[in-house]
Amino acid sequence: MLLVVTYSRRARETLRNACRSHEETVVRRFGRAALLRETEYGAFLACRLRERHAGDVQVERTEPFNEFADAPDAVREAAVAYARRDSPHTPYGRFAAGTDFPEASEMRGREL
Amino acid sequence: MTGDPAVLLRLPDGVGLEGPIVDLRGVDVDVSPAAIRDAVRVGCPTRPDRPTVHAPPPTRVHVHVCHLAPGVSVDRQAALAAVGAARGVETAHEADLGRAKQSLRELSIPTVDDDELRAARRRAAEAGSETERLRERVATLRGRVAARRDDGDDDALADAEASLSEATRTLSEASTQRVAATQRLAALEDRAQRARDARERRLRLEDRVENLRRARRAARADAVGPDFRDARARIDATVADRIGATGAEADGLRDALAVAVIAPLRAPVVVGADVVTAFGGPEATFERLEAPLVIG
Repeated sequence: MLLVVTYSRRARETLRNACRSHEETVVRRFGRAALLRETEYGAFLACRLRERHAGDVQVERTEPFNEFADAPDAVREAAVAYARRDSPHTPYGRFAAGTDFPEASEMRGREL
Repeated sequence: MTGDPAVLLRLPDGVGLEGPIVDLRGVDVDVSPAAIRDAVRVGCPTRPDRPTVHAPPPTRVHVHVCHLAPGVSVDRQAALAAVGAARGVETAHEADLGRAKQSLRELSIPTVDDDELRAARRRAAEAGSETERLRERVATLRGRVAARRDDGDDDALADAEASLSEATRTLSEASTQRVAATQRLAALEDRAQRARDARERRLRLEDRVENLRRARRAARADAVGPDFRDARARIDATVADRIGATGAEADGLRDALAVAVIAPLRAPVVVGADVVTAFGGPEATFERLEAPLVIG
């Protein structure tokens, strides 16, 4: 999908109007951002916004996140184990200490 | 009101009328009340074929009450907020608003050259598709070399190998350019991202300023609300039936009159003849509104 984020009042207003007039192309709207369908028309709207508001518009192309392809096994397994932990109040740091699960700071420093 | 006359109305034919009260009833003038109202709003100078009004400049209240005659309508909330502002009503939002505006002024947005960024996007895209095209060409030529080798045609094989080697060299150059273009784009995108953080802060501050302004308008309107309701009740009880308006139209005019009564006015107000009669004449109207009048 195309993620459009606006950074000025006028750009936000233009996006709002575009979303109102082109509901069929809008997947989701969030305040000053919207997800557009990945159609030529979605691209057309994104290009128009960028043309009109330049740096006040950010356009990103999103993809579904496949945790089996896009995340290392250790990261995925740590997340699953942490989500299933017995005591809900244990912070991740304490949970991971003394185990093979990666530390939060390590994960922060590594690009996918 | 004492001292200098508060209004000097200069008609297009050069005739001047002055005083705190300029009464156009019975005067043979070819000027509409709307034209005079506009002249009050724009001040001097005006076009030669229009009347000119020399008077204190209008405040924000004026737009709501500058013409008191049947047919006017008033945005009550906006008018009361303007009255509050003209009276200098202090609200609880001044300090926050001042701080938010100050932060907004101090915020500097890193500049991003949009044309440069666009050019970098285009170069990265072109370099990408050129590399793809060359990669396919290399694969095709590789197949041709293999085929010629199978054929056992040495001359054709040499030709095919030469083409392959040339294509491989071109692909290598294109790949290098692609990497450079991608890195250049990434660097510019990074800078744009940092600029967006600042733009995000600016947007939040602008929203905050707007919200505080709205809250201040509401507070100002609230502060003068009781005076307005009193004035409106007095209008209803005294002159409402005789101001020359009925139904919804009357409502608008009554609101406008009540606003005019409670607002500090220095610029002249254009008042309809029926309204002046209902108030009991020019002097009485002048005293009720405490504003210079043009009656027409």
